[in-house]
Amino acid sequence: MPKPSDSDDTRIKRSTFLKGLIGLAIAGGTGKFLYDRYNTLAHVPVRLLGPSMDFGHMVRDGSLKLDPNAPVSKKVKVLIIGGGIAGLSAGWWLKKEGIEDFMLLELEGKTGGNSASGENRVSAYPRGAHYIPLANAESTYVRMLFQELGIIETVDATGIATYNDLYLCHDPEERLFKDGSFQEGLVPNRGLRPEEKAEIERFFKVIVDYRNRRGSDGKPAFAIPLDLSSRDEEFLALDKMSMEQWLKQNNFSARPLLWYVDYCTRDDYGAKPADVSAWAGIHYFAGRRGRAANAEQNAVVTWPQGNGFVVQKLTEKLASHITTDACVFHIESKADAVRTAYIDRKSRKTFLIEADHLIFACPRFILPRVLKQDASKKSIDLDYVKEVVYPPWMVANITLRSLPPARGIARAWDNVCYLSDSLGYVVATHQNISTRLSSPTVITYYYPLADRRPDNGRMALYRADPEDWKESIVEDLMRMHPTIDRYIESIELWPWGHGMVSPGLGYIWGDTRQKLLQDLDRIVFAHSDMSGISNFEESQYRGVEAAIKVKAQLS
Amino acid sequence: MTWALLITAFVISTCGLIYELIAGTVASYLLGDSVTQFSTIIGVYLFFMGVGSFLSKYVEKNIILTFVQVELLVGLVGGSSATILFFMFEYVENFRILLYSLVGIIGVLIGIEIPLLMRILKGQLEFKDLVSKVFTFDYVGALLASLVFPLVLVPYLGLVRSSFLFGIFNVLVAIWTLHLFRKEIPWLNSMRTIAFTLVVGLTLGFAFSEKLVKMAETTSYHEHIIYSKSSPYQRIVITGGKRFKLFLNGNLQFNSQDEYRYHEALIHPALGSLPEAKKVLILGGGDGMAAREILKYPQVESITLVDLDPALTNLFSKQKLFIELNQDSLNSPRVKVINKDAFVWLRHCKQKFDLVVVDFPDPSNFSLGKLYTDTFYRQVKKVVNPDSLVVIQSTSPYFARNSFWCVVSTLESVGFKTIPYHAYVPSFGDWGYIIAWEGGASDSAGFQFGHHYPSGLKYVSKDSVASMLDFPADMKPSVREVNKLNNQSLVHLFEAEWDEYAETF
Repeated sequence: MPKPSDSDDTRIKRSTFLKGLIGLAIAGGTGKFLYDRYNTLAHVPVRLLGPSMDFGHMVRDGSLKLDPNAPVSKKVKVLIIGGGIAGLSAGWWLKKEGIEDFMLLELEGKTGGNSASGENRVSAYPRGAHYIPLANAESTYVRMLFQELGIIETVDATGIATYNDLYLCHDPEERLFKDGSFQEGLVPNRGLRPEEKAEIERFFKVIVDYRNRRGSDGKPAFAIPLDLSSRDEEFLALDKMSMEQWLKQNNFSARPLLWYVDYCTRDDYGAKPADVSAWAGIHYFAGRRGRAANAEQNAVVTWPQGNGFVVQKLTEKLASHITTDACVFHIESKADAVRTAYIDRKSRKTFLIEADHLIFACPRFILPRVLKQDASKKSIDLDYVKEVVYPPWMVANITLRSLPPARGIARAWDNVCYLSDSLGYVVATHQNISTRLSSPTVITYYYPLADRRPDNGRMALYRADPEDWKESIVEDLMRMHPTIDRYIESIELWPWGHGMVSPGLGYIWGDTRQKLLQDLDRIVFAHSDMSGISNFEESQYRGVEAAIKVKAQLS
Repeated sequence: MTWALLITAFVISTCGLIYELIAGTVASYLLGDSVTQFSTIIGVYLFFMGVGSFLSKYVEKNIILTFVQVELLVGLVGGSSATILFFMFEYVENFRILLYSLVGIIGVLIGIEIPLLMRILKGQLEFKDLVSKVFTFDYVGALLASLVFPLVLVPYLGLVRSSFLFGIFNVLVAIWTLHLFRKEIPWLNSMRTIAFTLVVGLTLGFAFSEKLVKMAETTSYHEHIIYSKSSPYQRIVITGGKRFKLFLNGNLQFNSQDEYRYHEALIHPALGSLPEAKKVLILGGGDGMAAREILKYPQVESITLVDLDPALTNLFSKQKLFIELNQDSLNSPRVKVINKDAFVWLRHCKQKFDLVVVDFPDPSNFSLGKLYTDTFYRQVKKVVNPDSLVVIQSTSPYFARNSFWCVVSTLESVGFKTIPYHAYVPSFGDWGYIIAWEGGASDSAGFQFGHHYPSGLKYVSKDSVASMLDFPADMKPSVREVNKLNNQSLVHLFEAEWDEYAETF
């Protein structure tokens, strides 16, 4: 067979060259056409929002100063700083007690704090907290508020509540993507070995046992709010070890179970089991004893905007007392009053408020930045504040043309992917009742940066390009929905530099929290960091308790 | 040159394995039981590769030309294999014959390739080198294919596009071979033309495969499609000619031949008992058929029809064919059409109605299931008087008896009294309805049918209604559950019951 040889046409002919050029051009054009057609993600707009950092950082740097001769703009009996659940609850309680002479200052343009929410033309959606479990018997303030807002409709003679079924999370509530398909519920149950199954059952037996235990003081081992829990040493000892150690000590080693616990501590505390106290880890499971006449025990209430629903209701009640866009930069505790200065973020004007009492309803790390100590007196040591950990989070709200298909059971409210670093997503339109089968929706994607130290996490959170976030989030979602990129209309990123408080080893029953619980002259504190567990019940409890304290001092 | 041909071996073995994997995956999707599908397909495929290798010895002249022709054929058949399988699934009586023939053809062609390639190379390498190199590339290609397929191709491109893509690769190999041997191949230009045409065709297939898949979807209707539209809420499809059928999201809503049975049974037993009824509410029913039946009662002054989808109500108030069927009911001055979500509308409704007709699609998913919950019926209760009636279409008490009785229990759980009944509609089977009313404490006598029917009914009469009330043993429930938003019992029951029938038929 003769070999084909190039020897006689080593010089490229003009026509060949031109043909080659045309061929390249066509190939390039086609390539570009195909790339644009299929790289739908490149066109998806992504917006980076989040809590305002400009003023926050100005406060931190101390660049805002109060003119010593500034006149007092207003005098009130009580000033509340912070419009999250704690601050709003304090205001709610004061109003219930007939105290009208109070003011609430909120840094952002809208109240909400960690229960912030947003809205677009498709739906309202949460940017943080998004559900509340059925209230325990001992969670009296929660039950009171629920009845006032119509979340609980009636309570029978035995104390069992009937909830508004529009607010109870509709079925299907949760699903887990594992081994290529969605299963019902978040506890892994597909493809388990018998010993793994047995271990998961044993784990829940231990939990149910803790749930029903009471200490020698007659209090439940794990209560909500947690300050009502038993102080028996047997239970408090759990706070001195990590959840990871506790699992090891109790011979829990099945990977699906360890994943599930890991998911739960990241979900509630933004941290891995190694960084969370075992007391807090168990509290997550064993604390909930809420019951309803018309729902199962593990039910929750939720709304399209998440806990933003409760924020809106409370804000409506307190509207005349609330000042938004108010950046507090100066707090001075005098013998007869507390002087607070804030700058209006819009007009840039400074106001000075003199209050008989101050309820400080912000995360405590803010305090050293704003509290101006009297140089003539012995200064108060605020170093304990550094011990409080607020892990960073990324929350993304993704607007979809409709929910993309996936294998396994039908779409649920909460959708989680096994072994993913994220917590999956919740569907904002899940509670809608509609004849439409597929419609645009917003999903809220939660990602705690739990695998690194909080400061490093915060750096990573802000340093990454929004486009990179978009890519990594979509990539993660594609594990559950391979075609989701073709359904995305827009993405809103909401980074939380300081998210919910995280209960590290010894935090809940140790010294640091004791220091957080103490008042400072005329300043009373209200925030879930005083509990070490950040949820609606704790925040509300701290707010109401602060209001009760202030009321007692007023009269 | 030698290297070029070895790379060719690599590419064709990758393509070959990809086609095999595509056939296996498509078969598991369409036929289920992936273990059986994959193992039979691998077996058939390997066997036919053997057949191909055997046949290769009969190629004596023009080895290179034959090689190119085989490549082009593999590109065409393999490249379009996923599309062919998806498309033909609806048309072919015995899908497996098509499946295995296709796998067989690809197998034979791939089986011919490697021996031919070795013969092309034999002048350039020693035998031991030849065998070692060709097979090395062959097996490495197979490894690549088996990794790329599940990790990249299926999630990112999908089956249809992947198969087109590898078809293109095969044809490119042919083009390259043509170029390498351009001096010794006969019919060079015609082969080139064919090859380039194939590249263009396969590229178009790749680019528009989404549309192709959609087309495949519409072929699942057995009759000619005369109208189809995707509204923001649902896919409306109408098939047929003189007699036609309406499908919403692929589910049959009515067949013009026997819809009168369904709609007479829905309206007349209730409305024939309400000689004083003035105000009627229809939830759903955007086709205007229920309204047509109600308009036969002169005492009815107004009908409010709440249907989400304007595309549907427009179709049935403007198109001649459909106006003839619903007797232009939607344009009647007595009918007011509101395009809103029924639940949202009910919550803000301040009026009261004498009759409420609830005519939603079956609770086949969790969105629709919410419209059959106690919460929904509590809203319905707010818009009726103590002596008003409500009638609800509630799936088949024969095919889904627990689902049917679940709707009854749910209505009763919110304080409605109920009369379940059923009628035979040939297109649907035995179909169930429930009349519900609030009744006062003194209302112990129960409900009495009035039988004040308009003239000209073809199905409902005093006698036929009497027979509708009888539920034989095979329509009695085995469980009674209340459907709530937070348990969606009805959807779970409904899925289980219809699945059972889908399996038996």
